[in-house]
Amino acid sequence: MKKVNKSSPDTQGVRRTTRNDIILIAALLTLILLSALAVLLFRTEGDTVIVSVDGNNYGEYPLNTDAEIEIKNGDGYNVLVIKDGEAYVRDASCPDGICSSHRPIRYNGQSIVCLPNKVVIEIRSQDQKQPDIIA
Amino acid sequence: MKKKKLISVALLVCMLLPSLLLTSCKEQKNKYVAHSFDYFDTATAITGYENDEEQFNRISNEILALLEEYHKLFTIYHRFEGMENLCTVNELEDGAHRTVTVDGRIIDLLLYAKEMYRVTNGRINIAMGSVLSIWHEYRTSGLDAPWEAELPPMELLEEAAQHTDINDLIIDEENSTVFIADPKMTLDVGAIAKGYAVEMVARALEGRGISGYVINVGGNVRAVGAKPDGEKWLVGIENSDTESNKAYLAYLLLEGESVVTSGSYQRYYTVDGKNYHHIIDTQTLMPAEGYISISVVCKNSAEGDALSTALFCMSPDEGLALVEGLSDVEAFWVMSDGSTHSSSGFPKYTTQP
Repeated sequence: MKKVNKSSPDTQGVRRTTRNDIILIAALLTLILLSALAVLLFRTEGDTVIVSVDGNNYGEYPLNTDAEIEIKNGDGYNVLVIKDGEAYVRDASCPDGICSSHRPIRYNGQSIVCLPNKVVIEIRSQDQKQPDIIA
Repeated sequence: MKKKKLISVALLVCMLLPSLLLTSCKEQKNKYVAHSFDYFDTATAITGYENDEEQFNRISNEILALLEEYHKLFTIYHRFEGMENLCTVNELEDGAHRTVTVDGRIIDLLLYAKEMYRVTNGRINIAMGSVLSIWHEYRTSGLDAPWEAELPPMELLEEAAQHTDINDLIIDEENSTVFIADPKMTLDVGAIAKGYAVEMVARALEGRGISGYVINVGGNVRAVGAKPDGEKWLVGIENSDTESNKAYLAYLLLEGESVVTSGSYQRYYTVDGKNYHHIIDTQTLMPAEGYISISVVCKNSAEGDALSTALFCMSPDEGLALVEGLSDVEAFWVMSDGSTHSSSGFPKYTTQP
C-alpha cells in the first residue's frame, strides 16, 4: 500500500509542499537567529561611567563620548572629565585631593572615590575579562 | 500527513526557540552595586548578582543594616542615645573609666583584638588610642588647613605611649563588661573593626545560603560564595602608581576568601611637602615606612585586616616570616620603590586574565 501511494501523483504534490516547508522553516529559523543576535547585541551595551553621590545614583555616562560633568553635593563639587575612553576628576572641592590625583580609569570595576564629597565614579563594562572587584 | 507533521514541527520550533531564549535571559543574573559612606568612616561597596534590582536592594539593604549595627557598636567617634559602645567605654567619669556592660559582639571583637596582639607581637594594639587620637587630630586639622599643617610633637606622642598597655583592658566575658584600668588609656579599633564587621556580616549571609556577593568596606574585600555561574571572582589589585599604565599589579581568583589591602596612599596629610599616612607604627609612633601597599589574602577578613596593618609595621623579612608561619594566609607587598614581593603560597590565588 505504502509503496503504491508513494508513486501516486497525489503524494508527489505533498513532496513539493515539503520543499516549500523546508524553505519556510529555514526562513523562520534565520529570522529567529537574527532576532536573537539582535537581542544579544542590544544587551552588550557599551562601557558606562556610573556616578553615585552618598550611595544614590547621580548619573550614567557613556565612556566613548567625551564629556565634562560637574558633580554637585551641597557645597562640594567634583569635575568629572570623560575623554578618549577614560574618566578622571579634573578638579574637586575636597581638602585631600585624592580623587583629582587618581589615575584615569577605563576598565570594568575601576573607581575613583571621593570620601569627603561621598562621590563614587565607577566604570561598568560587559567585558567579562575585566576584574569583577578592585582591591 | 507529512505536511501537517512538518508544519507542526516548524510551529513548535518557532514557539520553543524564543521561549528558550527568554528563559536563558531570565536565568542570567545581573550585576548590581550599592555604595554607602555611612560606616567605619570609609566607603562601602556591595556587589551582587541577582535576577532583578528589587531582590538585590533587599539583600544589600540587609547587609548595610548589619554593617550599621557593627559600626554603631565599634565606633570610637560617636555615641548613640541609649546604647553603650566603644565610644562610651573610652569616656571618663570623675577621672576614671567605668566598668561598662556591652553587647557580646564588642566582647568578641576585643577578645579577637587581644589574640591578634599576640599573633602580631604587639603590632596590632587596640590600646594605642591615646597615640592614634593625637595623629587623628593633627591629620584632620592638617587637611582642613593645609597651610598650617604640622606634625605632632614627639614628646606628646611619647607621653601618650606610656598609656598603651593592652593588659589594662579588662574584659569580663561572663558578665559581658569592659573596663580600662588606666584612666589615660583609650581604645582604637581602627585596624581591626571593619574587617571584623565584614567577616561577621559575610558569615551571616553564608549561614542563610546566600552567595554571589562581595562586600568591600574601605579595602576590606570579602567574597560571599562564587559568582552565580560558579565562576570565581576576578579581583584586581590596584596599582597606586598613577604614572604607570598598568592598572593592576596582580589578578586574584577568589571564592569565599577575603583580600584586605592597607595602603599609605589613601589616607594621609601633607606637612612640608611630605605625606604622612594613617598607619602608625606602634614602636616608632610615626607613620610606618617602606611600603606603598600590602594585601593579605586569607579566609577571615578580620585576620586579613589586622595582618595587613601589622605587616606595614614590620620589616619585609619579619613580615614574611609571620605570614609563612600562619596557615592559609598569603600576602603581597608593594614596596616604596614600586617593586613587589609575595609569600610562597600567593601564586595559587593569582591568574592572568
